[in-house]
Amino acid sequence: MSDAVFPIVFASEEARLLTAILLGFLFGFALERAGFGNARKLVGQFYLHDMTVFKVMFTAVLVATVGLYSLSAFGFLDMSRMWVNPTFVWAQLIGGFMLGIGFIMSGLCPGTSVVSAASGRWDGLVTFAGMFVGSFAFALFSDWFPILVRLYEGGSLGVSMLPQLLGLSVPWFILGVVLLAGAAFVGAERVEQIFQREQRPVELTPEPTRRARRYKFGLAGSLALVALVASGASAPRVEQPQVRAVEIAPLELAEAIIAKNPGLLILDLRSQTDSPGLVIPGAIPIGPDHTAVQYLQGAAPETVVVLCDETGTMATVPTEWPQKLDYRIVAGGIEGWRAEVLTPIQAISSALAEREFVARQNQIAGFFSGAAVRPAAVSAPPVVSTLGPKKKKKSMGC
Amino acid sequence: MTARPYWNPYLAGALLGLALLGAFLIAGQGLGASAFPKRVLAVAGSEVAPQWTARNPSLGQYVEDDSNPLRNWLVVEVIGVVLGGLIGALSAGRLKATVEKGPNISVRGRLGYALGGGIIMGFAAALARGCTSGQALSGGALLATGSWIFMMMFFAGAYAFAYVVRRQWL
Repeated sequence: MSDAVFPIVFASEEARLLTAILLGFLFGFALERAGFGNARKLVGQFYLHDMTVFKVMFTAVLVATVGLYSLSAFGFLDMSRMWVNPTFVWAQLIGGFMLGIGFIMSGLCPGTSVVSAASGRWDGLVTFAGMFVGSFAFALFSDWFPILVRLYEGGSLGVSMLPQLLGLSVPWFILGVVLLAGAAFVGAERVEQIFQREQRPVELTPEPTRRARRYKFGLAGSLALVALVASGASAPRVEQPQVRAVEIAPLELAEAIIAKNPGLLILDLRSQTDSPGLVIPGAIPIGPDHTAVQYLQGAAPETVVVLCDETGTMATVPTEWPQKLDYRIVAGGIEGWRAEVLTPIQAISSALAEREFVARQNQIAGFFSGAAVRPAAVSAPPVVSTLGPKKKKKSMGC
Repeated sequence: MTARPYWNPYLAGALLGLALLGAFLIAGQGLGASAFPKRVLAVAGSEVAPQWTARNPSLGQYVEDDSNPLRNWLVVEVIGVVLGGLIGALSAGRLKATVEKGPNISVRGRLGYALGGGIIMGFAAALARGCTSGQALSGGALLATGSWIFMMMFFAGAYAFAYVVRRQWL
């Protein structure tokens, strides 16, 4: 969907860069309001008396996730234009663990160290300065020790999404995570209460009033509701009505050709280079590019369009083709034609019906392959049946 | 002006989520922080040792074309974070030149830990191609596999070493 509104396409890179100031401002402001400019507040998470990091982080992730996938489901957002961090399993496994160690030492992560420094904290400034040293150390060591480069590029999965990796549908995965997070918030508040007997959270931490405690339910509930509505929207989608090509048995087609049915249009979809001379009589070779519109536009409404490809796998008709026509696909493709129409068969049982069928089939095979199986096959065999419009006959097995 | 309390964590989290969603919708990418030091280093490196920087596995990607590595959305965004943090602290009476530390550690000791932690995080963020902002928050919201691995391992690393550095905080 290239007509999606988001992500916004900017006329110039300067205009796009200006939005970075605004969104960075909101990011920094929200972190400050959460108390994330204070290292002592942040580390409470890891001594279990203040679970604010978990609450804020997962709330933010879920608000953004539900927003992204709902807007995408309703067609406002083109996710294919979104930049997604590629997955390198080993680099992110070890890098994540290391960053956790650095975090509990600094009491700040790279983003919050900026907010901490901006609100006057020297420890924030020193942490951010350390980031430069560490980034430089990685650049230097990756030059000296090739094993570090192997780790950096280890376990590459490209752009990998968790629901697809686990084989789960995206809306239900999100709904599951939202409900799980709601339960985890309740659990986190229990843990806090237990550990706050020994350790108080930092000053300025808001007292959890009864009303404030309900926020998490309102939040998780409304996110779950939005996700649920979006999951309904993403299912039917605004899809082009697809015209299906109904299978036609090669023998049935053969009879129609013999009968010289009017309104029969046979299109050969195989690429011309790999067609080894074997063609259905009267078929128009159009190749696999589906550039057959000129043949189809003038066709009468009751025209039966028979398509023939290599193996009979094309199930849907290209959307630019007129949809009112009756499309059929030769069952088994050209190979099906070869096997069923061009190959004479032997009668196995002596039942009258089968003997008649075998005789007829061999007449047809003789007619189309030119081999004189029976003397009668030299001329066109008499017409037995005609092709009815839009009536699907089962392929006859023998 | 007396300092006002912090916001309810779910409200602050919702605002943070809206900022993140805004970044995705408007700029087509998430928020970040660790790109700033890396890009500054790439500029410095291309001045001092251009060839070394260009073929460096970590920094080379920022100097591939001739454009200025600092003329980048994430770099400008970090400037916005500084302003947002400053205005946020100022408007709530929380702007204060101080060092946040536990009662049982000296200021010098605390700043030593802060520097050490910053160095480790700089290294780790370069290795993981992002930090808690770019990986855990932004990649996490997109449901990227590597970002969720990163997020889980971040919590694991911090919990594993919390007891080791408890003297600094408790």
